[in-house]
Amino acid sequence: MSLEELAFLLLAAVAVGTGVAALLVRELVHTILWISVFFVDLSAIYFLLSAPFLGVLQLGVYAGAVTVLLLFGIMVTRKRIFSREAATGVGPVPLALAVVTFIFLVVALGQFPSGAAPVQSYDPSALSGALFGAYGPWLLLLGLIMLGGVSGAIYLVREGRE
Amino acid sequence: MTALPLAGFLALSGALLAVGVFGLLTRRNFILILIAVEVAMNATILNFVYFAAFAPAGGAGISGQAIAVVLIGFAATEVAVGLAIVLGLNRLKGTINVAQATELKE
Repeated sequence: MSLEELAFLLLAAVAVGTGVAALLVRELVHTILWISVFFVDLSAIYFLLSAPFLGVLQLGVYAGAVTVLLLFGIMVTRKRIFSREAATGVGPVPLALAVVTFIFLVVALGQFPSGAAPVQSYDPSALSGALFGAYGPWLLLLGLIMLGGVSGAIYLVREGRE
Repeated sequence: MTALPLAGFLALSGALLAVGVFGLLTRRNFILILIAVEVAMNATILNFVYFAAFAPAGGAGISGQAIAVVLIGFAATEVAVGLAIVLGLNRLKGTINVAQATELKE
């Protein structure tokens, strides 16, 4: 087993583990800590897949902005920040549904390629060329959706609306 | 040139999607539901990067990464709108438990 494969296995285990831990721990602030580890871990996977620009974007947008935004959401909606959630427990039906989803994805959809393959690396300038060339309309649509999202968010939280 | 297992990435994103679905179904706190959606969304983005990385050389593999960039932006917008809903719900109900947001039921 090569070093890269070992790194991937480690990163994948950490990703699944922190994802589950984030959704199961009872203190919301601990959830945020776990999910930030999850985001940093995924960014490491992007670096492993030789997509450095996406890795940096993941660090900046997810590990940075989204984490802080979620923390802020917790801060303003609770009286005591470190208060515990009511125990919700793990019901058998959702657990079974999640396991069935996973098995379905793995078995029914996957005619998995076997073995290892070399990873193709792209120059970040090629990515920017694609983003501002062929994918320009998508970038424009992203901007419009962000504008709509921000306007909608301001409309939802504005003062004096009952 | 690094070589990586092909099937491992598909299994990883499948597992992450399953974790996201599980969180979406079991949690009652709005912020936890948002986080579950983010986990599922990240599984999707990982798939795009994966298929870009293992595309045949000289093909259109770069488009996978371009779509991943756009998707990261979409996910960030979704969190912003979700948190606005959290704040609105908290002001209206004094709680962010989705089990109590039943106004539209009647």
